[in-house]
Amino acid sequence: MTYQLDDMLLRVQKPGRYAGGELNSVVKDPANVAIRFAFCFPDLYEVGMSHLGMKILYSQFNSVEDIWCERVFAPDLDMEAEMKANGVRLFGLESRDPIDTFDFIGFTLQYEMSYPALLHMLDLAGLPLRADARDERFPLVVAGGPCACNPEPLADFIDIFFLGEGEEVDLEVMNLYRRMKQDGTYNKVAFLRKAAQIEGVYVPSLYDVTYHEDGTLAAVTPRDGAPARVKKRIIRDLDTVFYPASFVVPYIDIVHDRAVSEIFRGCIRGCRFCQAGFIYRPVREKSPEIIDRQSHALCESTGYEEFSLASLSTSDYTRLEDLLERLLQWTEKEQTNISLPSLRVDGFSEELANKLNVLRRSGLTFAPEAGTQRLRDVINKNLTEEEILTTAGKAFSGGWTSVKLYFMNGLPCERDEDIVGIADLAQKVVDTYFATPNRTHGKNGVNVSVSVSCFVPKPHTPFQWEPQDTMEELERKQRLLVESVHSKKISLSWHEAQVSFLEAVLARGDRRLGAALEEGFRRGFNLDSWSEHFSLEGWLAVLADCGLDPAFYANRRRDYDEVLPWDHLDYGVTKSFLMRENELAKAASTTPNCREKCAGCGAACWQEGVCVNGR
Amino acid sequence: MDGNGLIRTPSGVTFRVIRLRFSKTGRAKFISHLDLNRTMTRALRRAKLPIWYTEGFNKHPYLTFASPLSLGYEGLAECMDIRLVEDRPMDEVLAALNAAMPEGLLFTHAAEAVCKPADLAAATWRMTVGCSLAEIEAFLAQSSITAEKRTKKKTFKTVELKPLLGDVQAEAGEEQTVLTLTLPCSNSDTVNPSLILTALQHFLDREVTASVLRLCLRDTAGEVYR
Repeated sequence: MTYQLDDMLLRVQKPGRYAGGELNSVVKDPANVAIRFAFCFPDLYEVGMSHLGMKILYSQFNSVEDIWCERVFAPDLDMEAEMKANGVRLFGLESRDPIDTFDFIGFTLQYEMSYPALLHMLDLAGLPLRADARDERFPLVVAGGPCACNPEPLADFIDIFFLGEGEEVDLEVMNLYRRMKQDGTYNKVAFLRKAAQIEGVYVPSLYDVTYHEDGTLAAVTPRDGAPARVKKRIIRDLDTVFYPASFVVPYIDIVHDRAVSEIFRGCIRGCRFCQAGFIYRPVREKSPEIIDRQSHALCESTGYEEFSLASLSTSDYTRLEDLLERLLQWTEKEQTNISLPSLRVDGFSEELANKLNVLRRSGLTFAPEAGTQRLRDVINKNLTEEEILTTAGKAFSGGWTSVKLYFMNGLPCERDEDIVGIADLAQKVVDTYFATPNRTHGKNGVNVSVSVSCFVPKPHTPFQWEPQDTMEELERKQRLLVESVHSKKISLSWHEAQVSFLEAVLARGDRRLGAALEEGFRRGFNLDSWSEHFSLEGWLAVLADCGLDPAFYANRRRDYDEVLPWDHLDYGVTKSFLMRENELAKAASTTPNCREKCAGCGAACWQEGVCVNGR
Repeated sequence: MDGNGLIRTPSGVTFRVIRLRFSKTGRAKFISHLDLNRTMTRALRRAKLPIWYTEGFNKHPYLTFASPLSLGYEGLAECMDIRLVEDRPMDEVLAALNAAMPEGLLFTHAAEAVCKPADLAAATWRMTVGCSLAEIEAFLAQSSITAEKRTKKKTFKTVELKPLLGDVQAEAGEEQTVLTLTLPCSNSDTVNPSLILTALQHFLDREVTASVLRLCLRDTAGEVYR
């Protein structure tokens, strides 16, 4: 195996993706291990290795003596071809053993467009795709991550979904498995029934789905004692939850090649388009002293020259100055850079900003998301034009000449004037540059780059009932934007409406889409998150052949009383709150953030974090 | 240099050049040269050695490799130079580095650099190739052995390998033949074993598998580069 694999690796691009043996990767003796777990990321190594959740769960599984967790990523097309030609099945990077001999195969679902890669990986592992075709001879296939909040398109293929944060529930399921194996009561059916009793565990095969004649859901009915609603799991105390003391350090350059420290989970903001802002509630912070200690330990065990503070909005960490003072004690001495993503620059004292060299690290980036104040109020994005222009002005007088602005088009209640507003706002940033007396006269003066993505309505958000603009409409708006820009200082880029369309179909899809995913796999569609591999025509043909109408999923407005495919999955945030927010959006009325005033979203049911102590 | 091997930078910092020898085998052979640089930088940081950082806008530990090793090749005595601003016993340097290294990378020797980079002249290789001893002997017996070599200008030129091959030892293995040979390896002239392999495949008119191991680097006198 090793000799053959080495030979294959010499023929493919970036063999470091498949070689294994990186620093801090965990190797155990299979003879002393009760449970072997293949942690699969359905995308390339460079993407998957950048993902924090995988690092946490990998280390946590391996901290249990008799569990051996290995990493598996989607092979690129050249490697997949080599594997098929040489009869090599998908293997764990640590042991190089084929993963169909493992106890569990676990996928993390970070974005819908990775579903095709997931099916390819199951097939490369030698597993039947459909869960009901896999008996005790095959590993159990489990999945978690944000897309598990509506996993219905994958319901045919996955045995167990984990809802919410994985640190506790994953191990509870492993413990049940170990116990049933030891006392001889294990069989797949019995195990799944028992697992379904654990909070946060969703076993899709224990739910029957019926449909109305118009294609909408009639009911989702549990069987065999499974709960009618499955509640997501949260970690109550982030100070005591497991956090890795080391990361696997890759050889090849990956997307985010640095140490990462999590500073809080959840987000106080409640931007109405943002799924992460709702499904990770409530906000729970980690203490500065714990973050400081864990960050230092990580940098020492990895040798990383940079580490990043991870959260949905760095500036909302209530003890940021305290934390940074602590970190600077050792980072300056050890030549370690701190990276602060999603930071509002305006909140900083000048001294601290200089010490951190904030701008040099992150550049000047804003995410107004919408072009006018009215539409920003619709989406509850709390960022004003004045804040943007003031901060940009400061940066320009500090020697900066480039600004990035992120927007979406196709938002609910959007009018053409909002699209023109994107160009206007960018123009005002350009004008601010020329109005700055002590600006730097760079070679090309100022550069404002505007990046526009297409809005995709997501489950568990106030916009879950909204139609997505048609591709024609999205493309018309893109053209309107191009015509509205009159300065060469503004550069425009946008996401393909085609990919966003399929993403919208899958995001709010139901179980019937499983047939289309399977057919897409048979026709060879893979790695669709990479635009060079994506074919909309191909997917449209598949959907049509399966008797499915993509517009039904993407472009249709749902009634409030329609049964949604994810209604039986409980993320704490109530449907009545989301309806209220949807109505406020229509009235362009904002909702204060969690620290200003509780909006009664439902996440207080856990009695943790911002809901009880303000942070 | 002040005779004690101490070098002083314009900003007044003094350092010593330490030459480290390391092996790069097994899975580590898939680390490209560029990636090796990053891997070693992090190894130096983990070891907390008093290394000299460059003084520019992006400060980074200064390290240089004697000669890059192609992706997929193994090496037993690769050379990397680092700069230490404080003296440390060499066994401590080795122990600190080896305390946390990825599989397949191991430091074997540390000493103050003796040879200058310009002294590097040759490398001794072991090639394990998938053909018989008789085939190798026939190959080597040719009066001329040529291969196309890519030049820095991205054109190709034909190189006559025969006079460069020197004394080649060939030993028959089970299904393979093991060649030991010394090839030029310097700034001005380097022959990569891949050229030999290409010429061999051309001669035999078939694909030949090969695993390649660099045994050591040599100076102009043929001694081990140190």
